[in-house]
This record gives sequence, C-alpha cells and structure tokens, in this order.
Amino acid sequence: MYKKIVEKPIENILFIGGGETDFGLQGESDAAIYQVLPILNSLGYTTSVIDDNPYSLAIESPATTGFLRPLTVENVKAVLAEQNIDAVLPTFGGTRALRLWDQVLAEWRPENGPVPTSLGLKPSQLHQVNDGRLLFDRIIDAGLNVTASAVVKNQEEASELLREMELPLVVRAHQPIQTTTRQIIDRLDDFDQVVSQVMGQSLTHEVSIAKAINGLKEISVLVLRDRDGNCLKVGSSEDMDPIGIHSADSLSVAPVLTVSDQVLQQMRAQSFLIANLLGLQGVLHVQFAFNEKTGDIYVIKVSPYLDQLTNRMAVMTGYPVMLVAAQLAVGKLLTEVVLPNAFHAKTAIMEPVMDHIVVKLPVFSFGDMEATGTQVSRQLNSVQKSVGSALGFGRTFVEAMEKAIRSAHFNNRSFAPKYMADVSDDELIQQLIHPQDNRVLLLIEALRRGYEVDELAELTNIDEFYFYQLKRLLAIELSVDQQPGDAEALKMAKKSGLSDGLLARFWRTDFQSIRQLARANDIIPTYKALEPSAGEFPEHARQFFATFEEENESNPVCDRSVVIIGPGAFRMGDGASAGYMTSVTLSELHRLKYKTIIMNNNAADPTLLPHLSDKQYLEPLETSDVMSVIDRENPHAVLVPGNRKKLIAALEDLGQNVIVFPKEKHHPAGPEFSQSEFVLNLFYDGKDKFPLIIFQHQPGQIRLLDQEINPNFLAGLDLQSPGLYQVIWRVDINQWVSQVDLPNLSIDTWLRPMPYGHIAYLTKVLKMPLGRMVVRAWIGQLNAADRQLLAEVNTNPNFERLALMASATDYALHWKPDHWVDTTRFEMGARIAPYADEEG
Amino acid sequence: MERHLILEDGTVFSGQGFGAPATTFGEIIFDTAMSGYQETITNPIYDGQMIVFAMPVVGADGIHAEAYESTTPKIRGVIVHDLAEVSTNRQRRMNLDRFLQHHNIPGLYEVDTRKLIRHLRETGPQKATIVDVVDDHAVDQLVATVLTNKQVQNTATPKAYANPGRGFHIIVIDFGLKHGILRVLGDYDANVTVLPFTTTVDEVLTLDPDGIILSTGPGNPKDLPDEVSTLVRVLQTKVPLLGLGLGHELLALANGAGVKALPAEYHGMNHPIQEIISQSIFYARQGRGYVIDEESLDSKKLFVTHRDLVDGSIQGIRLRNYPAFSVQFFPDGAPGPLEANGIFADFFETVADYVQKNS
Amino acid sequence: MANKVVLDSDSMQRALTRITYEILERNKGGQNLILVGIKTRGEYLAHRIADRLEQLEQVQIPVMAIDVTNYRDDHLDSHDDLGLDSAEKLNIANQNIVLVDDVLFTGRTTRAALDALIQIGRPQAIALAVLVDRGHRELPIRADFVGKNIPTAQNEKIKVKVKEFDGEDSVEIEH
Repeated sequence: MYKKIVEKPIENILFIGGGETDFGLQGESDAAIYQVLPILNSLGYTTSVIDDNPYSLAIESPATTGFLRPLTVENVKAVLAEQNIDAVLPTFGGTRALRLWDQVLAEWRPENGPVPTSLGLKPSQLHQVNDGRLLFDRIIDAGLNVTASAVVKNQEEASELLREMELPLVVRAHQPIQTTTRQIIDRLDDFDQVVSQVMGQSLTHEVSIAKAINGLKEISVLVLRDRDGNCLKVGSSEDMDPIGIHSADSLSVAPVLTVSDQVLQQMRAQSFLIANLLGLQGVLHVQFAFNEKTGDIYVIKVSPYLDQLTNRMAVMTGYPVMLVAAQLAVGKLLTEVVLPNAFHAKTAIMEPVMDHIVVKLPVFSFGDMEATGTQVSRQLNSVQKSVGSALGFGRTFVEAMEKAIRSAHFNNRSFAPKYMADVSDDELIQQLIHPQDNRVLLLIEALRRGYEVDELAELTNIDEFYFYQLKRLLAIELSVDQQPGDAEALKMAKKSGLSDGLLARFWRTDFQSIRQLARANDIIPTYKALEPSAGEFPEHARQFFATFEEENESNPVCDRSVVIIGPGAFRMGDGASAGYMTSVTLSELHRLKYKTIIMNNNAADPTLLPHLSDKQYLEPLETSDVMSVIDRENPHAVLVPGNRKKLIAALEDLGQNVIVFPKEKHHPAGPEFSQSEFVLNLFYDGKDKFPLIIFQHQPGQIRLLDQEINPNFLAGLDLQSPGLYQVIWRVDINQWVSQVDLPNLSIDTWLRPMPYGHIAYLTKVLKMPLGRMVVRAWIGQLNAADRQLLAEVNTNPNFERLALMASATDYALHWKPDHWVDTTRFEMGARIAPYADEEG
Repeated sequence: MERHLILEDGTVFSGQGFGAPATTFGEIIFDTAMSGYQETITNPIYDGQMIVFAMPVVGADGIHAEAYESTTPKIRGVIVHDLAEVSTNRQRRMNLDRFLQHHNIPGLYEVDTRKLIRHLRETGPQKATIVDVVDDHAVDQLVATVLTNKQVQNTATPKAYANPGRGFHIIVIDFGLKHGILRVLGDYDANVTVLPFTTTVDEVLTLDPDGIILSTGPGNPKDLPDEVSTLVRVLQTKVPLLGLGLGHELLALANGAGVKALPAEYHGMNHPIQEIISQSIFYARQGRGYVIDEESLDSKKLFVTHRDLVDGSIQGIRLRNYPAFSVQFFPDGAPGPLEANGIFADFFETVADYVQKNS
Repeated sequence: MANKVVLDSDSMQRALTRITYEILERNKGGQNLILVGIKTRGEYLAHRIADRLEQLEQVQIPVMAIDVTNYRDDHLDSHDDLGLDSAEKLNIANQNIVLVDDVLFTGRTTRAALDALIQIGRPQAIALAVLVDRGHRELPIRADFVGKNIPTAQNEKIKVKVKEFDGEDSVEIEH
C-alpha cells in the first residue's frame, strides 16, 4: 500500500543561541528562544539551549536546560550526547548558529550516532544559505533579478561599463551553455581575463555584468512557510534612505507607504517563491531593491532565519512571529499552530494588518567614544554604524517619527530648531549627499532653509513623500513657536507626537505648565490597542500606544500594578544586559502576583515579549509619556532605572511611589593594562549586607576569586536602599591571582551599584537568582531561604570557572576610529570563556 | 474645512474635508487592506458605498494610470485618518485629493477611523452621509434617502465590446467588471468579448465561446432579474464557466442555493482561504457583503471547493456534472495577492480540454 | 544537457486537482471507483488523487498499484507475472477503474496495464488519467483525463518527479 515515510517523532530539541552582541546582533535571538521554550514544552518537547552569552535570558529559563558554554563544534556535540538530542533548531540563532551547525554536520562521524534532524532548514539548504553564491544562483535560475545588470558583446563594451561600476562585480554568461557560470571579480587586474573566459561559456557570446544598485528604494518583506508550502506574509517595511546606506542605519517605516500594491504583491510572490525554493519551515526575511523609474525589482538579501526584523515585526504588528515560526520548524502546519489564550483564535493564520504607523530610528553612540577623545567616522554607508534602534508608534507618519526620535534620544534637545543653525550651506549640501547620523535633522534643516522638495528628492534619492511629511512637521513647529500658550497649537503639537518638554522649550516655560494647559483643555492621550486585525475583531489586546484622538481603549489594569520603565534603545555599555535585568524584574514581579506594565520602545530585547508582562505601552520614555501612562494606570509603584534622574524627581514630585533600579550612566572606565581592578560583590537586603564573591578585572576579562570574605569588612559601608553593590579597588597586578588582600574600605575603595551585566553573569556562574532576589528585596519579600543562600555563597562558594570576556567588537570596520579602542570600555556585548585556576 | 460623517444610527464623526465638497449618501463599510487604495476606490463593486480605510495613511503613492479598476469610480465617499500629500508633477500626474475632486467624490481625513471601524464591526454596514453641517435637516435627509439597488445597471456595460486577442474566445458577462479580470485575460492572450448582463443565451452561443466568465460586480445578486439565473443555468451546461465575486453568487443562485447578507461585510486581503481538495491555504483580496447560505446548498449538484478559515464562509463552489466553478474572492488581485491567479490557469486548462474534446 | 521545467510543483498540484474534479464529474460520487496506479510514479499520483477525493467527498477510494515493466509487448520477458502485488489484488469485477500514469507516450504501457487488469477480472469500465500527454501514440489509446498536454519531439525526454519518490514535484523536458 501507500507508504508515507514515517519518521521517528522528535522529542529533544537543541537551540543554538545567537552568541554575543555585536553590530546588527542585539538580543533578538535570545529573546526569541526565551519566548518559544514554554510553548514547545506544552507541545511535549524537551528543550536545551547552548549559548556563550552571559546575558542570555533563555539559558536561565525554567522551561529548558541551559548550557553556558563557548559555541564550538565540540561543545555542541557534547550537549547533543548529554541531552540525547534528536533535533537541532539553528535558525533561531541567526547566521552564527547556522554556520556552527553546518560545521557540526560536516564534522559528524558515524561514531557520533545518528545525525540529529535539522529543523527549519534541511542540511543541503543550510549549506546553500551559508554559501550565499549558491543561494543566489538558485534564485537567478528561478527567474528573479538579483542586481541590475547589463549585457555586453565584447571587451570594449565591457571596459566601457567598468568605468561606471564599482568592484566587486558579478559576471555571468548570457544564455549559458552550462548552468553555473557566475564569477565574482574582486580585482581590476582580473577583469579582462574573466570577461573573455565567461564570454566563451555563452551560447551567444554575451556577458552580463551586474551593476551597483545604489540609490534604489529598499523594501524588506517577512514571510512564514510551513512544511506543506503554505506561506503567510507577516509584513513589510521600507527604508527612507536609498540603497547605499545600511538598512540598519536608515529610518524605516512600516507598513510600506510609498510603493504601489502591484509592486508589493510581486515582492510578496517572490518571497514565497524563495521560501519554497529553500523548502524552509519558519521565517524568511527578503530584502528587495526597487527601481521606481523602470519598475524593476531586485532581490538583494535573503535571510531564512531569525533576525532583528522578526522581533521588530512581532512588536510592530502584534502577530506572534516567533511562536508561530518555532511550531512551523517542528513540523506543524499554519492551520495547526497553537497560541496562548491571550490571542484571538485565528491569529496565527490571519495575515496581520496594521492600522498604525511604526517608524524605526537607528541609535548611534558615536558621542560616547568621541567624548574620550577618539575621532570616528560618522558618515553613513553600506557598513552598519548604528548600535541599536528605537520604535515610534503613531497614527500618522509625523507622529510615529517624532515619537521614534524621542525614543531614540530620551530628550529633545538636539531637535530644537536652533540646533542645526551652525551648519554652513556648503556643509549642508555635503551632508545631504554624504549622509551622517543626524540625517533627519539635516533634512528638516534643508527644508527650513528653503530647499525645494524636488531638489532634495533628487539629491538624496529619498521619496518626496518624506519631504512633504517633514514640511508638515516644520509648519507645526512654526505655528507652535508663534502661538505660545495657545490650546489649539498645543493640540496640534501633541497630535504630531511632540513632547511637553519640547513645547516647554519653545514657549520658554516648564513642562508642568504645559501639562496643566493640556489637562485644562482636555488634551489627553487616547491609547489605541495594537493588535493584528486592524479593528476587524474584538481582541484582548495588551499592547497600547498613545495618540490624541477620540476613543481610548486602555483601561487601568488594577490597583496592584507596577509600572516598569524599560531601558529603551540598545546603547553601548550595559545595553546588552539592560534588557535581561528588566525582563527578570518583570518575570519576578509577575511571579509575586503583581500586575506588571512595561513601557519601552526597543523590539530587540525581551522586555516587550507579551508573556512577560500584563500590559505593554509602546511609547517614548520621556517624562510626559511616563506621566500620561501613570495618570491612566494609577499604579502601586513605578520602577525607574537609576540613570533617569529627572524622571525620578518628576515622579516623586507627583507623589508617586518610585522604586529606583540602581543603574549608572555609562562611563568608559576600567583598569589600565598594568592594573587589576578587584570587585567585591555584595547583596544588601535593607538590613544586612551579604558579601558574595570577589572578582578580578583585567582589561577585557573578569575572573572569580575563591576567597572567603570577612563580613566585618563591610561593617562601615553606608547603603541607602536594598540591592546589589560593588566595592572596587585597584592594585598594580597584571596577572591572575587566587587571593587578594582586602584594602582600607574608607580610603582605597569606591562603591557602585552592580552593573546589570554582572548580575546576569554572577547569576549564572554562582547558580543563584541574584536578579530575582534583588526584586524581592525591593518589595520586602526576601525570604529566609534567600538569606541562607546569600549567606552561604561567601563561605562555601561553588562557581564555574567561566571568565566574562568583553566582545572583540570590530570598531575599526564599523566606525573607523583614529586609534585603537579598548572594547572593555566600549562594551557592545560579552561572552564567557572557561579558564583554569592559577597555580599557587 | 471641518466636515462630518453622520451614520444612520445617529453617530457622528468629524474630520477635515478633502476631495469634492459634495454631500453624498451611501452605505458605509470598512477595508483593512494596507495597500491598493486606488484599485479599491475605482473597483465598481463599491458602487453606492463609502469606504473607511483602516490603513491610517492613505495617498502616499499618488494615482497611477496602471492602477485603475474602472475609469469612473462609483464610490460615494472615502474616510481616512491621515491624507498623504504628494506632488502632482513628473510621474505622478494625479494625487488622491485631485482625483476625488475630479470625480465629485467627498473625502474626510483626521477621523478617528479605528473608533469608527470598531463601531461598524458591531453595527454592520449602515447608511451614512458626508455633510458640512450636522443638523436635523441633514439627519432627516439621511433617514429619508433610499439607496439604490440598481448598482449593476449603474456600472455594467450596456453594450457589447471586444478586447481581441489570438487565444481562446472568452466571453465575459459584465455585472460591473473590474479591469483586473481583463488584464489577466490579456496575459493569456484570450480573445475577449464583453457582453452586457442582459444578453440572451442565443446571443452568447452564436458567438461560439470557448469559455465564459461571470464577472464581479456590486450589490445584492437577488436584485438582478430572473433572466440572469436562466442564462447562467443554460450556459453552464454548454462551455466551461468561471464565476467571480457576484458571478459566483449568481452561479450559486442559478443552481438552487441561497445567498445571504453578512452581518458585517469583509473587505480586505488577510483571511486565509483553504482549497478543500488539497488543504492548502492562500490569501486573496476579498470584498463581500453576501455569502452562499450553507444550509441551502444542494450537495448533489454542487461541491464546496474553498472556504475562508476565519469565518468558515464558502469561498468557492463547483458543479458536479459540468466544468463550471466559481470563487467569491478576487483571483486577479488588483489590489491583492497573486497566489490565487491559478484559478485562471485552471479555467484555461479546462477550456483547452473542452476545445480539444470538441474539435 | 539542459532541462526545462514545464510544470512546477504548484501547476502539478493543480493538474491533479483538476483531474480529480473531472473523475468525479464522470463517476458520480465516486461509487464503485478503484484507482490503479502504474508503478512507480503513477502509484503516487493515484494516491494523491485518492487523498483529494477523500478531502472532498469523505470517501475512501481503493488504490492499487500495477507494475508493468516486465509486461510490455516490447519486452522479451515472458508474461507469467501479472505485475500486481498479490496482497493488493482487489475484486475489480463490475468496478469503474481509473488507470493512473505519469506520462502517456506511445501507449504501450497503458496497453500492458489493460492486459494485466483484464486478466484478473472484468471491470465495468476502464478510464485513463495521465499527468502529461506528450503525443506520438503508436496504439489507438486516448486518455480520458489529462493534466497537461505537452507537445514534444520524438527524441525529447519527459521527466516527471514526485515528492514522495524524487523529493520534489516537477515535470521537465530533457533536450
């Protein structure tokens, strides 16, 4: 009879994590893995996660077995054996995980046992994806354009073309005799020889040469595919800046606004075609270039794995992309996907539609480095410069953009009208053509100085639509400026996303009086639900953003709620770990039966995952935004990061119960090369101080000391509020030690709150939930067992020999600094590395 | 200038006027698609209706020659949250504002469209008017207005015309045809004759068609004269037949099935449609106020071939004994996904088969 | 050797769907229907048609397979093997048989299958469904249900791939 191939059902799945944070790699992989673990459990799977990122939330999840180990072939193989793994899901870890898994497969030996199933992508496809050329050849064979190309008949024509093109070039035989005749030319010297060689491979003696596609519109499309080939489009977004500027460094907007339905449908069809070509199960991100003049569409990048757009689309649309993608990867059909009760029953199979606009703005941290005297290149090009991004949600482009600007910058100082006045006309032209990180400001300034829309659109290759929008913003600013104290002007300004703070600056008053004027005139935000049906169905939405319209949809959660102010966009320093700590806090408060309300605007970290909090406000984090939410929710307490001094003061003025989340502004500090910094970590529960462990910090690395600390040492330390702290001193030692003499506490040391990253690291190596304990201490719920655990660490330390290493971020490539940069001081991320104890 | 939308249930929404400063009456519905406003506005199926777009920014792509679904829009009003201003120079000769002015259609922007849609999803479609002033007179006018049920007569061609090609001879019976159908027939190089819906069986068969398409169109299929049912009943036994939208509802009616009005209409392109025979799902533009009544379907005569997986509604049927089939959705896209284009491929294969067997 | 894809996976699915509808048009409700797939690929296609019939009509249509590689009149081997797996022999008397094959070319395969069937019983009727009809018949045989007519040159090769056996669905012409 009919034999359907029945494979042994998979039971044990290994996730390969995304590894350390870097340019283009924030916490998205970790957030995604963390999110899907519980649902896979409920479907009967056992999971394991391997990652070398000490800030990983996923490896701490109670829903999995986590392995904090370097991401190597040996370690993956070891976990496979230890955990009896029968399937590996590498696509959630992005490109690094895909390469590693490909390598594991290549090095698989019969004695390793049966090869585990590759979920998401089959091994052969995985290999094509890792070798981009193979993948693009298949895409070309399927009839899609990959880049604009010209066909030439002879060497002269080819040389002619060379003058207009930049290397590297792609040369292919036109109407090839054989199928694979694609050559990449990296060196000018090779050009003639390759062209004549390829010409010989063409039936018609013609060669097609790929052209640079700078200046075209860039569109991203995200789709899902199941094992039977059913595809669903999650969404698409467009970049304001043309190709030539890295997509991550451009303002981008979703949904797509300036491209016709016909073009979007072709991109959709091409995305589905590529998904089917790869036979993938899960998520696919395709980047397209679109030439408006000719109507040509080019495929420029294919990412059949989880990347930043995946998480961002989930937040922007309310469609649970990762929960669905994981189930497709393990073999479910789109029609079989199961979602938590909070979602509408049909959510998984309905393509999400948006009735709001989301603007993503890149965040650059050039200033942090420049402040220390290092010059960097601020010019935007095809190499990513931004370290993070923030989202702005609104019902018009202007509103979403203003809110994105405020989200990315915390304050609006740089957006006040006078700020750009110093730029000379020559500089302005230069920067219009060679964009820098102040892109949007510069475009507004150009309009302010009377440049015509046509002219600007031509100079910048930016769609006219954006200039008309920026002109609207300029007009609003102007009318606000001219009508101080006018309620109508205020209303218009609020509708356009402007903050009370910026208005106060315009009207030379304080923001309290703006707030009062707004309230007196009934100008208060109406919160709109963010849900994937655009209002078609009644929903139990828990995501909201502020607008100034008629109907408000957000009702207060309850009286035992806590508002948590998120860390906002990823920045240098403890950016990689701020999301971790905020998420741990949300999770612990939830466990303690508080209703949690998060405010944040960064989609790359886990803080906005729907299951982590009871309600999410997708908002900027300026004082006026926070106050409006507090007015609406009337929470029991507000949790604010310690570096938000102004916000804390404002909330306390309003009589709010503020809990300060200890955090300092990023200081590029650390020991010199001949030095070691010693750090005594301690826990203060409001009454007792618990010394935990000492670690030694040499440039680039931290190791733990196996040394008992005399509790009396801390007797003289004066602490204000419960939390984790560090007592620090420096010694001129440039080798690793196992013991250190304690210094004079009052003279040689200084005190700081424990950075989030160290909390994440110590939680893992000491195997005790320090983050959660600190949350318990804040709200007076630290229990006796906690205290006993804390007391035991010092006397009976039991830690893994894993050093905390600063990532070797390639600043030279991305920022071109004028001298060498110590990545410990400008941390983008971190990883762990095992070490052996020093002898003697 | 501030203008207002009054609904039959007395609810009033205010916004800024754009397009024509006219006062109009129509049936108000909402659309959740995020692209294709021009195609939607010009689709004849919206004759007599006003559309609220859930997509908050409308107009950013201007108006293009290749995106017309009919030459004259029959829509009665366009309600959006934010109207995008775009220039009318160079490749964009027309923008949405000027287009609506030109066709004497009023628009309204700065409306809390999400509130309006949440309201309409509960009440279902209702009569509405766009006015300058909200007063008793305006409300009385609205209450007194009887909306026409002659939308097909209003939009469909009164005269036959040809769109010649070198392929199969396809006759399209026009109930308010959208251009997308002709565009696809052009892709197949079909030799197309478009006939008015008042055509007789003889007139059709005299032209010796290889296949027949019952076009999309506006309104309630039951408002059409009985002759249409008779026409369909005969034609379906003669040559391969494809019904689309209203044409699908007509094929059902001609075969004894009932058609009923939906409590809330659906206009969008995000509902999955399942092809029952293969269990595969795809997405297509839908615009429907009516569906086939499940209870009334005679399974000895008809199969159900497609369903909307969100509301379970019938999206496709096929006759058991003849090569005649129809779909509720729009496989031509325009606007909308292209995945359902295969319906036309099926139709042409069926036609080819028919021609071969009868030659 | 360049291969040209003439039917992709999607068109192949649609062709099978259309064949299924036509079979139903001809055999009211699928009563007394038996599908007989000619090995190797015809068997898989027959099962796909049966799956489709089940989705549409909630009926299970019996499927059997027939192997005629040693049974064709252009083969020298003797005719003692009927080509039917004995375990799969069904009572075909008075049943409506639809023979299913991937490609119809000279007609010799079909003829061999007809011979085999008639030896085991006397069906009510036998019809033929093929995914591809490529012409060049050498016998008076005609398909009742055709997925796609693909006119070919005598020396060209048609290659049908099915997912269950070849890992993908497609029809290609080899020049």
